[in-house]
Amino acid sequence: MIDRLLFTLPESKKIMVKLVGLYVLQAFLILGQALGLAMLLTNLWQGHPLASQWQWLLLFAGCFTARHLTNWLEQARLDSYARHCADQLRQQLLKRLFTLGPVLINREGTGNMVTLALDGISEVETYINLLFSKFVSMMVIPILLLIVCLYLDWVSGLVMLAIYPLIILFMIILGYAAKAKADRQYANFQMLSNHFIDSLRGIDTLKYFGISKQYSKSIFRSSEQFRRSTMSVIRVAMLSTFALDFFTTLAIAILAVFLGLRLIDGHLLLFPALAILILAPEYFMPIRNFANDYHATLNGKNSFHAVYRILKMAEPQRPQVQLHSWLPNDQLKLTGVSYQYPSGSQLKPLNLTLTGYQKVGIIGMSGAGKTTLINLLAGFLAPTAGQFNVQGTMTNSMNISDWQQQILYIPQHPYIFEDTLRNNIAFYTPDVSDRQVEKAVHVVGLDNLVATLPAGLSTVIGQGHRPLSGGQAQRIALARAFLDQKRKIMILDEPTAHLDIETELELKERMLPLMKDRLVLLATHRLHWLNQMDHVIVLNHGRLVEQGDYQTLLEQNGYLTKLIRQMRGGRLDA
Amino acid sequence: MHKIPLFKALHHDRWVRPYLRKYRWTLILAISLGILTFVCAGGLMFTAGYLISKCATMPFNILLVYVPIVLTRAFGIFRPVFKYCERITSHNWVLKMTSDFRKKLYNSLEQDAVFFNSKYRIGDILGLLSEDVAHIQNLYLRTIFPMLVAAGLYVIIVIGLGVLTPLMGLLLAILFGLIIIGIPVWSVLVNGQRQDDEKQATNRLYADLTDNVLGITDWIFAGRSAEYLGRRKNDEQQLRKSQHALHSFNYFRDFLLQMMILLVVIALVIWSSWRFGHHWGANWIAAFVLAVFPLDEALAGLPNAAQQTNTYVDSLERLNSLPAVPKDNEQLDVVHAPFQLQLTNVKFAYPHTKNVILNGLSLTIHSGEKLAILGRSGAGKSTLVSLLRGDRQPNSGSVLLNDVPTSEFGDQISNYIGIVHQQPYLFNTSVLNNVRIGNEQATEGQVWSVLQRVGLAEKIHQLPDGLNTKVGEAGLGFSGGEQHRLSLARILLKNVPIVILDEPTVGLDPITEQQVIDTFMKELKDKTLIWVTHHLQGIDQMDQVIFLENGQVDLAGSPAQLAKNSKRYRMLRAADEGLIE
Repeated sequence: MIDRLLFTLPESKKIMVKLVGLYVLQAFLILGQALGLAMLLTNLWQGHPLASQWQWLLLFAGCFTARHLTNWLEQARLDSYARHCADQLRQQLLKRLFTLGPVLINREGTGNMVTLALDGISEVETYINLLFSKFVSMMVIPILLLIVCLYLDWVSGLVMLAIYPLIILFMIILGYAAKAKADRQYANFQMLSNHFIDSLRGIDTLKYFGISKQYSKSIFRSSEQFRRSTMSVIRVAMLSTFALDFFTTLAIAILAVFLGLRLIDGHLLLFPALAILILAPEYFMPIRNFANDYHATLNGKNSFHAVYRILKMAEPQRPQVQLHSWLPNDQLKLTGVSYQYPSGSQLKPLNLTLTGYQKVGIIGMSGAGKTTLINLLAGFLAPTAGQFNVQGTMTNSMNISDWQQQILYIPQHPYIFEDTLRNNIAFYTPDVSDRQVEKAVHVVGLDNLVATLPAGLSTVIGQGHRPLSGGQAQRIALARAFLDQKRKIMILDEPTAHLDIETELELKERMLPLMKDRLVLLATHRLHWLNQMDHVIVLNHGRLVEQGDYQTLLEQNGYLTKLIRQMRGGRLDA
Repeated sequence: MHKIPLFKALHHDRWVRPYLRKYRWTLILAISLGILTFVCAGGLMFTAGYLISKCATMPFNILLVYVPIVLTRAFGIFRPVFKYCERITSHNWVLKMTSDFRKKLYNSLEQDAVFFNSKYRIGDILGLLSEDVAHIQNLYLRTIFPMLVAAGLYVIIVIGLGVLTPLMGLLLAILFGLIIIGIPVWSVLVNGQRQDDEKQATNRLYADLTDNVLGITDWIFAGRSAEYLGRRKNDEQQLRKSQHALHSFNYFRDFLLQMMILLVVIALVIWSSWRFGHHWGANWIAAFVLAVFPLDEALAGLPNAAQQTNTYVDSLERLNSLPAVPKDNEQLDVVHAPFQLQLTNVKFAYPHTKNVILNGLSLTIHSGEKLAILGRSGAGKSTLVSLLRGDRQPNSGSVLLNDVPTSEFGDQISNYIGIVHQQPYLFNTSVLNNVRIGNEQATEGQVWSVLQRVGLAEKIHQLPDGLNTKVGEAGLGFSGGEQHRLSLARILLKNVPIVILDEPTVGLDPITEQQVIDTFMKELKDKTLIWVTHHLQGIDQMDQVIFLENGQVDLAGSPAQLAKNSKRYRMLRAADEGLIE
């Protein structure tokens, strides 16, 4: 019933002990409140004037007040504890995220990770908060109240004791029934709830085919279907709440009748009877609270486990290799390097030597393994087998800090942060002067953009602001490269294929000087790049089929020639 | 009242009030059930208190306590039953309204459907809007509903006691008034600003984290991860501060509310001992006093419920700012083959911008002609497409399809012009339904025939459920090229005379691209084809090529003419084929 994982939280035992103490105190206050009121009512019933009963009224009021004060104290205490735990978990999770980086993001999805780090952790906070308090109060309060009831009237006490397991039993049975029903409905459920979003996402398509107006009826229909299936689940799911309600309320009614009958027979006095009647709802209160919040905590529980799963994930091994800044005669050798995806596709073992400031083109159809090779070389992926030899040192993966600090990585869509243009350009070199930034802007041809921006370099760009074209984003990436002359390794993943041909050629002209004195790895299927490459690697279905310089490969008349012919639509030379 | 944000938001509301009216009978039923639940809960303790007191007088005949015994049992049984029914009714009621909401939201967005993606996908407003619908559900279930139930109880209690003793009725009217109205309103006013701060801080953290997780590769490569995490910690602490203030107030307020309840109990003790203490009515004392305690459940949550309304205000405002659905005034223009598109001196600039996108563009597209449109990003290619389809109107000049302005066709334009996009949308439904978007009346045979033509028949045949396989299920993923083929299948089924291809092959590798283009050209050879493209792959199959620049046609001619006459064209061509140095 309680999640063992909760005990892995810092100081969880200490807080448990404190809570038990507080709830014992609270149980005594509940008793004081109930007995005070029962005594007051009994004496008033006996005809004593209220003026003579002020001490009982005071006991009741005092205990009532003190009880809610301890409640306040307990909530505030637990609140700060849960907040503290949540903050720590979030910090750990983010730290993890920013160490594991793209590998984790690719597997879990950006949206999921952000939601987990923010909403997920907030849910965990609620979960910690609720579960500790409800669980401990359920374990402490009913027991103490029951002991007193047994003392007051053991018959009623036994009835109260007997009904408890009955409640739990029924809740479990009905809970399972509801779950089974919900599971059966789930596929249907999911489909219907997605239908609406799906229709909105495709609304332009519907409009293009002239059927968007009539689709509105379909939205309503499927929503109504959704309602019916939801209701059939809710009807069962709420039965377990109903059972709890039913048993606790009926127990009170039965107790009242029972007490009444025994009062008539003279087996009992009014005071214990009233006290039990007042205590009975308090006795059932903790389990009702627990059950009410139980569903609310389920999300928190799932998030809590998801966070733990990620925190427990093995740190990627970071080989402790010292590297110097890449020099013209340095070498990177790959021996039998391969990668196997869980899905089955793979990059087959390949051998490769990259030397100095070579410009290496990686070419192949989509799915040939270009991006996998890039990810291996950048250290995002560790190979399933094989070895690297970098600057004479052997290593299993390129996830080397000294290596990555030399890399300029330019993907097809460079990411633009929601920040000023200046900060975006100087992202890798935050300390450069404005003059240098202006120079970079000029070198990569961003002058026009800067001129049209309202605040020039200080204009905020990125998500939710003025959209940049693909070419402009590429130019910002190039400006980063220009500013960071220390980084000697340039990795480009299909940097121009999505641009219009004229922009592409312009960018290429700006890119070429930046490639000078750097080791360049360029994955592309745009043929014009190959003329500028010193070395071409040709991949086909995860295998390195050819490598060498472009002219030699053309003369070989092998796979590359065939590839080029197909790309040109059947003509080798136009 | 106007200090409470919810009331302001409800002032010009089209999303909450109409539905309260439309489903008022179910609402009244649900509220009555809610009130009855608490009447039973209070009644149970009331009769139980009376019963026990009465029994303590040791009546000689059990029949004297027969009525309270029956009532106690009845209240005990009916309370959970009413509660169950109330929850079922209210959920059903809310889900019913959700169906209406969704339809309304859809209709509202449908008007602008063509520009939906550019307009609403930014910052995932789409997700927000569908969450808004959920928020409105909660507004009903968690706020409006408990409030109305509490108000109902309030009336019953005050009138009930007022009949017995007017002065006591007045006192309870004040005390319960404070609990049910006073404290919740106070709570809304005090915490409004804090909640606002909290919400804004949360949104900021959200946007900030999303932004930086998307750019995580750069943080790691730049070696600046620690810097980011540190900066973030500061922002979080600010959020914590406002949350802390919020929670502290809530605990204090809840304590105060309990003290009010204590006052009610003490008032009842004093009143009942005065009213019943001296004669045989002493049995009523316990009854009245004990009946208060079950009401705690109805009252304790009210301030939080009221406070929640602050968080729904945004949702309400967002929904209310969506355009209202206008009356249909569809024009039914019918034009006949041969179809000719005629652009004359078209000028276009987006509203509130100075940047002229199209500046006096003239162009004639004859029936059956194959036209390629090239140009840089921002040269006006997409704008031209929306003008051709009539989704936008030129500022001056005209866009005519057989002498009728294209913007006058309304939805009928889809019978003449079809469009294939960069990212065709595949609905989360069967392949069959996805293709039938083109023509909902198409037979399965017709669907198979178009699938055959676009080269997808074989793939679909191999699926376990064939045409009925859901997209995205049973491993049915469509690659980029295949998505375009499916999109073409829809167009073929629709059988329109004019087809616009809006950069459909961006992101495909050249070989796949060439294959897709070949299929398109073959299957669309009898139709007018307008192909917007970003490079020159497959351009030889076109009759006419134009380059857009500065809002005008910069270069035009057949591919052969251009290859002969234009140096620029030859250069681009060579680059595209990798033949330049």
